[in-house]
Amino acid sequence: MAAATHPGVARGPRRRVARHTAQRSLYGVLFTLPVVVIEVLLLFLPIIQTFYYSMTYWDGVTAQWVGVGTFVSLFQDPAFWRVLLNNGLLLLSVPVAIGIPLVVAYLLHEKIWGWKFFRSVYFLPTAISWVVIAMVAVQFFAGSGILNHLLAPFGVQQNMLAGEYPAMIAVVITFIWSQFGQNTIIFITGMATLHPEVYEAARIDGANQWQIFWRITVPLLRRFILFAFITTLVTAFSALFSLIFVMTGGGPGYGTTTLEFFVYQEAFNVGQFGFGATLGVVLFVIVFAISLLQLRLLQRED
Amino acid sequence: MRRFGGSPARTISRAVTFLVLLLVTVVMLYPFWFMASSAFRSLQQYTLGLPGLSLASWRLLLQLLPIGQQVLNSSIVTFGSILLILILSAMGGYAFSKLSYRGSQLIFLAILASMMIPVQSMIIPEYTNLSYVGLINQYIGAILVYTALYTPFATFLMTMYFRGIPNDLIEAAVVDGLGYLRIFFRVMLPMAIPALATIVVLEFIQIWDDFLVGLLFLQGPDVRTITVGLATLNAARVLNVPVMMAGSLVSAIPAIIVYLLFQRYLIAGLTMGMGK
Repeated sequence: MAAATHPGVARGPRRRVARHTAQRSLYGVLFTLPVVVIEVLLLFLPIIQTFYYSMTYWDGVTAQWVGVGTFVSLFQDPAFWRVLLNNGLLLLSVPVAIGIPLVVAYLLHEKIWGWKFFRSVYFLPTAISWVVIAMVAVQFFAGSGILNHLLAPFGVQQNMLAGEYPAMIAVVITFIWSQFGQNTIIFITGMATLHPEVYEAARIDGANQWQIFWRITVPLLRRFILFAFITTLVTAFSALFSLIFVMTGGGPGYGTTTLEFFVYQEAFNVGQFGFGATLGVVLFVIVFAISLLQLRLLQRED
Repeated sequence: MRRFGGSPARTISRAVTFLVLLLVTVVMLYPFWFMASSAFRSLQQYTLGLPGLSLASWRLLLQLLPIGQQVLNSSIVTFGSILLILILSAMGGYAFSKLSYRGSQLIFLAILASMMIPVQSMIIPEYTNLSYVGLINQYIGAILVYTALYTPFATFLMTMYFRGIPNDLIEAAVVDGLGYLRIFFRVMLPMAIPALATIVVLEFIQIWDDFLVGLLFLQGPDVRTITVGLATLNAARVLNVPVMMAGSLVSAIPAIIVYLLFQRYLIAGLTMGMGK
């Protein structure tokens, strides 16, 4: 570029630079073309279609235009609010799903004997499919399951998967278990960025472990806690379909049907593709809003 | 070292910490132990709590599920998708980092933004579109869907990685008379092997473990993946826990092996997604 802007240089190099820039742009376009084509056809097109079909009556073959009335009737549907309540319960579980890993990461990061082994074990569920996790979870929570064997000496017997709220709690516990390792790794990574002198100084000032955790570690890890919170929440809202499908099938009743599961059920079980699309738009707006919130908050942190 | 030094209070606190971590380990490992130990017992041994091991459940599993075919289907779809994702993301990452053109940054941002789209929000039209062009129950249909879903993150990783390679290196290669195509193959790709490996490990686990895309796009018994096959076992109300655990083990083992061998790539992928 220096040659191109320098006035005294002959025209040859300048033209060569211009030709190189043009060539570079051409290659740039060619190299991005495949990814752009795939994403436009298989991601951006269907999401735009979802917005269109959300305002139609659509059985998968023919669509009849209705307009925003579909959203009005959605908001008047009690089933929708029941389902949204389950998403609310998932939201409530997120502080637990990041709180436990935060404490354990704090215990781990002091490089206690065997910490690498612990870390590997905790992270293991990340590699396991939701279907397998759900299959084992069913055996744990079901009437004849392991949980009741453990509780038998105390005279407590319950099939957690048979009641609406107990079933949701069972799903939530399984979810917290599966996210534990990932969040622990996030916090260990975060704690590695803190300077040891800060801890030493606090210890010399006579602060105990508990005080150090609350007054130093947690505030300094704000950025990582925020990241873990949002990631866990987005997973809860948009990646639990398989777990629920195998564990409870969304039931009993609407007991474990989340918004994401409702989309699938209405479209592919009931055949109401239009209604499924309406739900899909609501889900999209919620998840997109959460993600944008994360970007805003992280930018403020910087 | 410090374990043996320090005050007695410190030693006790360390011991308590160790015990807590051990307890957590039991909670995390118990489901795996349950899965592995039940799989090698007969139904009778399992329900009556009799001691001993048996392969009866495995024989039954092989009768109920075409395990070999389903593992093959999973492999075809997983490796096909990974290959496409690698090609698209390496090319895209190279262009977004080194061959920028007017509007390329905007396209890059759009691809990043697409990661925020929940699968369920686009899956209905995706399904009707692919069924319209006759790609349901075809490996290539599922491969295309996986590629569309996971290429954005891979492209992000590759772009970030290539940005770390100095521009001077490209300039020097251009001066040497290498074209941009040759620079890609001879300079960029060889240097990107760690990033490509991260993508392979990450996407292997993600696609091998996936259920929804397989459920919708590969419904036929002959093209069904192992994860979906396993779920049909559950849906068919096969009330035989050892058989279900044996099936779970088959489906989980490839991912566990990959995890044990390449754990650091998974952690790298997670932390790369974290930082900017």
